[in-house]
Amino acid sequence: MAEQMWRVVAVFRVVTLVYAAVLITRDHGDYLHPAAGWLALAVMAVWSVITIAAYSRPRGRQTWLICADVAVAAGLVLSTRLIVPASQINAGAPTIPSSWAASSVLACAVAGGPAGGLAGASVIIAADIVERQALPQGTLSNIVLVLIAGGVGGYIVQLGLRAEASADRAARLEAAIAERERIARGIHDSVLQVLALVATRGRELGGEATELARLAGEQESALRALVSGAAVPPPEGGQLDLAGLLEPLGSSRVTVSCPAGAVLLPDAPARALAAAAGEALDNVRRHAGADARAWVLVEDDGTAVTVSVRDDGLGFAEGRLAEAETAGRLGVAQSIKGRLRDAGGSACVRSSPGQGTEVELRVPRG
Amino acid sequence: MCPEAELRVLVVDDHPIWRHSVAAGLEEAGCAVAGTAGDGAQALRVAAATRPGVVLLDLNLPDMSGAEVTRRLLAADPGVRVLILSASGERQDVLDAMTAGATGYLVKSAQFSELVAAVRSAAAGEAVFTPGLAGLVLGEYRRLAAGSGADAGLGAAGSTRAAGPGRPASSGQPRLTERETEVLRLVAKGMTYPEIAALLVLSPRTVQNHVQNTLIKLQLHNKAQLVRYALEQGIE
Repeated sequence: MAEQMWRVVAVFRVVTLVYAAVLITRDHGDYLHPAAGWLALAVMAVWSVITIAAYSRPRGRQTWLICADVAVAAGLVLSTRLIVPASQINAGAPTIPSSWAASSVLACAVAGGPAGGLAGASVIIAADIVERQALPQGTLSNIVLVLIAGGVGGYIVQLGLRAEASADRAARLEAAIAERERIARGIHDSVLQVLALVATRGRELGGEATELARLAGEQESALRALVSGAAVPPPEGGQLDLAGLLEPLGSSRVTVSCPAGAVLLPDAPARALAAAAGEALDNVRRHAGADARAWVLVEDDGTAVTVSVRDDGLGFAEGRLAEAETAGRLGVAQSIKGRLRDAGGSACVRSSPGQGTEVELRVPRG
Repeated sequence: MCPEAELRVLVVDDHPIWRHSVAAGLEEAGCAVAGTAGDGAQALRVAAATRPGVVLLDLNLPDMSGAEVTRRLLAADPGVRVLILSASGERQDVLDAMTAGATGYLVKSAQFSELVAAVRSAAAGEAVFTPGLAGLVLGEYRRLAAGSGADAGLGAAGSTRAAGPGRPASSGQPRLTERETEVLRLVAKGMTYPEIAALLVLSPRTVQNHVQNTLIKLQLHNKAQLVRYALEQGIE
């Protein structure tokens, strides 16, 4: 983008140089010093070559050179007084560099945005007014044109650069996501399969292999959650997919069952349900016994979303939970109930000794 | 563990290590392996040549969807039992394959003994109903009830927001009886048939029939949908 803009400046400079040459060729007969006219044209030509060559490389776009560019243009505008008779200047004759002077303003705009462009334009306008010693109508419209070239040109360049930068970021992000998906596919096709296999066959072999199988199984579900998590789509319209939040909780001991489609809920209740289910599963690990298995069921009947967490562990007598509550021991059940209450839902815990425990979490759809 | 002498299994998985290991494990357990295949097209060819009793089908195949392979396998041989073996996180694919006529679904992290037991049940024509499958089937009935006539289409992943409890499903939609819903929920929460039977005072056989019915109704509905679609499109 910036490169194209610098090329536009170069083209503008060449075109305006040709225009200035035409004007000088036409008018030099009336000049006070015709030779001075040719000299000015030679200066413009040489300066054009120098700046076009310098601006074509990023290293050549030095602030001092751009300032010198404006100074040269302003000097040439001022030199008009020495070359063109006052009567013709007052009659509205063009300045010696005419539109060529604006090429330095464009250079300022491209290098410095609207502020740079306006600064460059002000210098040229000041030189123009000094040279004219008046403010006739023609000069006024020239001034407006130069201001537009400096201000608007700089603004457009800035916009373009920003658009380019964001397009760049988007392209980089897209490439990163594509790469991540490629890696996820690769892991899915290789590492996960082998880990699943080790977990499955290890358990069959028994003995020391059981421990290896457990480790492999845990790593498999952790890795699976990691690579599938990378592909979880962003929330749709401020809603979260509860199934997507709960599935990573699955492991060799925990089965998560959901409907096939997304279970969309607003952010807060979705996170409350997921956090409460996670706590319930932590509780299973701590209290239900080492061999306990757990099942998480997600149901959506249109009026409410229900998450049930059941285990086949030791369980406890009906009264014990209430006992713990009245004794002021804020157990996990309390924390789970609190979360659900805050989200506008409810939780209930059922258990009996030897029958495992079931926690039912429910959030109505608003 | 596979006493049925004629029970032969076709193992379909795009991952060679997994494929060969499962095949070896099945043979160890006494099942005959009819063959192995790495993609859907190969699976159809090998199935046509070897006529296996059970096809153990991975859903993640490079060339076609699990539902497509299931449909074609059953079209070629209505007697074949397709057992879906999938990694987690492919819920819609699993449901599509099940409604296309598969007999059961297991996750890849299941124990090998469970796998062998599932192959035997499938061979006997029994639906292999894991908790995960029960959750999918429950969700699908609720989606159909919510869609109420304006069916979102085959395999559409719609959420069931518009449903109301008193809202009647349109005549063509399959529905669960209260008992079926109750039984499916218990299966989804990890209870075994004997446990459910004891809880509801039923025979285990009755529990199994209830469970199987829920899947058969979905499969019939799916087939009817396909026929209706074909007629609408003028395909004969």
